[in-house]
Amino acid sequence: MGYKFPSQEWVLEYQKAINSNKDYEKSARNWIYGVIVLVIEKDPSIGLNNDTYLWLDLDQGKCHEAKFVTKEEAEKAPFIIEGSYQRWKQVIRKELEPIKGILQGKLKLKKGNLPVIVRFVEAARQLVYSSTMIDTEFLDE
Amino acid sequence: MNKIMTASKIYKEDLNFIYFAPTKIIFGAGSIKEVPLEMENNGKRKAIVITDPYLYKNHGGVKRLVESLKDKYGGIFFDVPPESSLETVNKAYKFASALLDIDTIVSIGGGSVIDTGKALSILLKEGGSIEDHLGFQRLSRPQTFHIAIPTTAGTGSEVTKYAVLKDSMLKRKVIIGENYIIPNVAILDPELTLTLPKELTASTAIDALSHCIEALHSLQKEPIADALAYYGIELIWKNLYEVLRVPDSLLPRGNLQIAATLGGIAFDNAQVGLVHGIAHVIGARYNIPHGIANGVILPYVILFNSLEPSCGEVYKEIAVRLRLSNSQESYKKVSKKLAIALKEFIKGANLPTTLHELQIPKDHLDEISEEVLYDPSIVYNGRYAMERELVLEILKQAWGGG
Repeated sequence: MGYKFPSQEWVLEYQKAINSNKDYEKSARNWIYGVIVLVIEKDPSIGLNNDTYLWLDLDQGKCHEAKFVTKEEAEKAPFIIEGSYQRWKQVIRKELEPIKGILQGKLKLKKGNLPVIVRFVEAARQLVYSSTMIDTEFLDE
Repeated sequence: MNKIMTASKIYKEDLNFIYFAPTKIIFGAGSIKEVPLEMENNGKRKAIVITDPYLYKNHGGVKRLVESLKDKYGGIFFDVPPESSLETVNKAYKFASALLDIDTIVSIGGGSVIDTGKALSILLKEGGSIEDHLGFQRLSRPQTFHIAIPTTAGTGSEVTKYAVLKDSMLKRKVIIGENYIIPNVAILDPELTLTLPKELTASTAIDALSHCIEALHSLQKEPIADALAYYGIELIWKNLYEVLRVPDSLLPRGNLQIAATLGGIAFDNAQVGLVHGIAHVIGARYNIPHGIANGVILPYVILFNSLEPSCGEVYKEIAVRLRLSNSQESYKKVSKKLAIALKEFIKGANLPTTLHELQIPKDHLDEISEEVLYDPSIVYNGRYAMERELVLEILKQAWGGG
């Protein structure tokens, strides 16, 4: 039995996975740019009736907090990346690298400075690898 | 058999891609006269022409274009500098907003002019200032109808989603990348390039050559873009010197234009890599023309990338096609041959081949290498280069020409 994505349990597992990923710690050691919010767009066909805002408080290679927040809270974050459920599923399955996803328009950088994100391409990759450590159940499977 | 074997080393089993090239391309001597017809066919009534001051005063093509538009002519903005900027675009928008019923942009000039046209196409549709629209794939609807007419043969901007603009305050280039700003029509009229000065002819051709090679060693390479890029390289290799020898020869001029467009479509789909990552930074910091910066860096990035087998195989394929090598040699050996041959080719076109010649202070290389890591192009480079030390080593070699 895996963890449903998105769910509170999944988010807590994700935080643990990030913090136990040494490669993430190393590649993100200079990340001092604050919170990244991942927006999972609503998809009523799979029971996701509202946009979901996942708040990742990242600082110098560690994830200090991972939680769901409201849209209003999310908008306070310096970086917001948005995508459909299917795109995030591709990311979690390592089929789509997040920065390439942004550059190709598969994910949208709604807020934040792209060059800063680009500078941390390896950290972004490791964030994704962290999510693959979780036994994830997807809503449409 | 060898080519098939080579190809199997280049593409992986999990190859997947989207190829997108929506621009209608009209090629031919005198094809500039097609502009009014294209507007009519698309239900458009009034155009603003975008160009630069030099072309406005000196280029017969601009005059012919304005005359041919007749009642479809709405006005002309001719203040685009050699490197367009955020300010230039906002100024163009202010000018265009004062004109009535503009529904078409016709940009005639080099990449800077066409990029200005692309950025203006956003403002005429979405409003605001261009600073509100920086970034990648943020638009959600088609923008203002745009006909692009290149007068150089290099940037490929007439078929790409990118507008590169200078942020004069930060002394940095910023990029807009939107499928919705790819020009609707590109008119390739080789007559318009006949008077292009030799140095500009050479540097823009090397820009196109860099687009083709970068598309081929990109992580997002794919067979359709590859086919265009390989042919683009061959056309430049066979035609640049001919154009430099006889500048008003129409056929090789046309071939260079086609090569530039092929390179544009190729990199628009496959992306560019470290050559552009470095060239964007040194171009913005030291006002170095993009093609010249690309030409200096290209051989050194090839040497760097060639340690990655997938890149090495690509270089071998290029070298075989250019008859620089037979297919029996190792890719490492052939990559080196290719890098040397390209450097000679660039030198033979009277362009600089070292950063030293560009008067870039050696003690700036450290800072440059850090800045390069923030350029989106680097993400796609065929060999991992996201470490300052790796970029610095390439810069050092390119500085001294070693």
